[in-house]
Amino acid sequence: MPPVILRVKEAPTGVPLEAESISPDLFADRSREEIEALPVALGNESHRLGDFFQVEGERSDQIEVDGSIPRVKWVGSGMTRGRVVIHGDVGMHAGSYMRGGEILIEGNAADFLGVEMEAGLIRVRGNAGHRAGAAYRGSKFGMRGGIILIEGDVGHEVGAYMRRGLVVIKGNAEDFLGARMAAGTICLFGRAGLRTGGGMQKGMIVCMHPVELLPTFAYDCIYAPIFLRILFKGLKRLGVQPTPQQANGLYRRYHGDLAEIGKGEILIPA
Amino acid sequence: MAESVGVKEVKVIEGVTCPFCGVTCDDLVVHVENGKIKEVKNACVLGKDTFMHHLEGWATPRIQGKPATIDQCIDAAAEILAKAKYPLIYGLDSTELQAQRKSIELADLIGANIDHTSSVCHAPSLQAVQTVGISSCTVGEVKNRADLVIFWGCNPAEAHPRHPSRYSVTAKGLFTPKGKKDRMVIHVDVRPTPTARMADAFIQIKPNSDYEIFSALRALLKGHELDQAEVGGVAIDEWKTLLEKMKSSKFGILYWGMGLTMTRGKYLNIVALLTLTQELNRFTKFQAAPMRGHGNVVGMAQVLTWQTGFPFAVNMSRGYPRFNPGEYSVADLLAHGEVDAALILAADAIGNFPAKMAEHLRSIPMIAVDPKESETTKVATVVIPTAQAGIAAGGMAYRMDHIPLVMKKVVDSPYPSDREVLERIIAKVVAMKNGGNGAPVRAGGARG
Repeated sequence: MPPVILRVKEAPTGVPLEAESISPDLFADRSREEIEALPVALGNESHRLGDFFQVEGERSDQIEVDGSIPRVKWVGSGMTRGRVVIHGDVGMHAGSYMRGGEILIEGNAADFLGVEMEAGLIRVRGNAGHRAGAAYRGSKFGMRGGIILIEGDVGHEVGAYMRRGLVVIKGNAEDFLGARMAAGTICLFGRAGLRTGGGMQKGMIVCMHPVELLPTFAYDCIYAPIFLRILFKGLKRLGVQPTPQQANGLYRRYHGDLAEIGKGEILIPA
Repeated sequence: MAESVGVKEVKVIEGVTCPFCGVTCDDLVVHVENGKIKEVKNACVLGKDTFMHHLEGWATPRIQGKPATIDQCIDAAAEILAKAKYPLIYGLDSTELQAQRKSIELADLIGANIDHTSSVCHAPSLQAVQTVGISSCTVGEVKNRADLVIFWGCNPAEAHPRHPSRYSVTAKGLFTPKGKKDRMVIHVDVRPTPTARMADAFIQIKPNSDYEIFSALRALLKGHELDQAEVGGVAIDEWKTLLEKMKSSKFGILYWGMGLTMTRGKYLNIVALLTLTQELNRFTKFQAAPMRGHGNVVGMAQVLTWQTGFPFAVNMSRGYPRFNPGEYSVADLLAHGEVDAALILAADAIGNFPAKMAEHLRSIPMIAVDPKESETTKVATVVIPTAQAGIAAGGMAYRMDHIPLVMKKVVDSPYPSDREVLERIIAKVVAMKNGGNGAPVRAGGARG
């Protein structure tokens, strides 16, 4: 099935464009004209998708956005199938509430990437902003499943309130990585900011560099977790290649946050 | 006919509510002579100055820097707002309840983002309360019951001068008949402040270590022993002593300030604080409360929550309220350069925001509604002077503990109130939208 290609006619520069209609679920059964007529919101005004994008192709759950759209929000939000490729940057809320399919962002992603996603795969070649894979304000849980793979750096509170799923960050993270997480796995290859795992209940954060831990994390032991070998085997399929030292080496295990129930784990290479 | 010169018209108004800080003292006595405030009794130096100097530095109505009438200014403001695709309404904390209510109506009408000055002070406290809840009480309960008062990252001696004497330190109450002698006051901050002088103990902590300290206190409270000898630059034993004091108090209260909300960690600092005070309730009665800044700062969050369900950072651009700090909060809207017009009411945004954000505000059409000249009115496209709420305009205000109080009008002003200005802008916008293409006005603006 050839993909639907969206060529950026006029990228919004100031007022953000909210385009949750850029979703494989909506493109799959629509003709080119129908895709062009899908609604988008420029601030408080309603427009057609065709006002901002030149649409090529139709009836496909494969979407390619040819160009950078850092001011376009909610791309692929709630999608359940297909694939969205963005050849450039994307705005806030990309892949939030996602339930299946794949999003590939070749540039940078803004804040709230994959927030509260339930399944599917999001890959970012560049950096991602704050609260990727986390929860919206007021929600009890963040990401409930699926995989987010970020090759660059990320902002604050990534993976906060996570309930299940996997976040892999090849670059560095800022403060409160995995804050208040309830379960799930975060794998950080770069360096972490402060207060990693603050308020975490369960779940696991693997940090490949030494981390300044909160006083409420307690050291347990040095061991070679079998789980990590299985995880890294899976990551290889996604193109993430840990060093042999990382894949087979020993890890120091800390548990916390003792201010909460203290069943979370932080692993740091020994 | 006798000249009125020499005939004094003297009025003494009692029970006046002060609009300056969040304590909103409601026992002021104001003497007015010939329409001018001559004396203010019972107020602190901050409150007294607010009344005594209210005639100074008045703003004047103008458009693009040129003098105009109020009517022309309102027309110009309505035109800017009706055309805007992604406007911002900001400020609002130093006005009264009905004006705040009207600002939300306007935001709904034009599909705007609405945020208030809490967004850059105690918004993290609101987020934390939303996340974990709060065990709190009124200042009256503190006055009558509290035998342990902790001021953490706040400085009431300078910022809320009458809070200690009316409620929290020297105040005598039902179960605290000896006032200060019946209370232990502890001050925790990164440096000694004048509040330390009235406290029984001062604990100096390292900057940006509050989250670690609250987490450690919570773990100690659960009976865990920690590996570290010190947290936040203070020995663990000292924290254990503090915890014992908290547990053995009959009624404890922890007041926090912007030392916690606007430092690294933000709302998660408050989440840790609130959970600690909640967990202390297994041992005794323990509360927490924020020390709020502006007079009616709590009111805006109250009204916004009652009208939209959310306390700040609300967006109406899609015709229904959405809440997302980090996206619809004023700092982010301006830093990302998203908004295309702004209405700043009773706040000095240009004077208080970082250069980059102020720069964006300067680059868009901006309406300043304010009794006084400020950095914002200097560069605003349209300036609409108003009667100062709490002095020249009456209304309601919420005290920092969510108690509504009546603000009295003590003098007249040649200018309309904030509420009236907003009502007239709303009427004008409605007329423009109806008159333009005949389409009915819909909530969320004129969307096709």
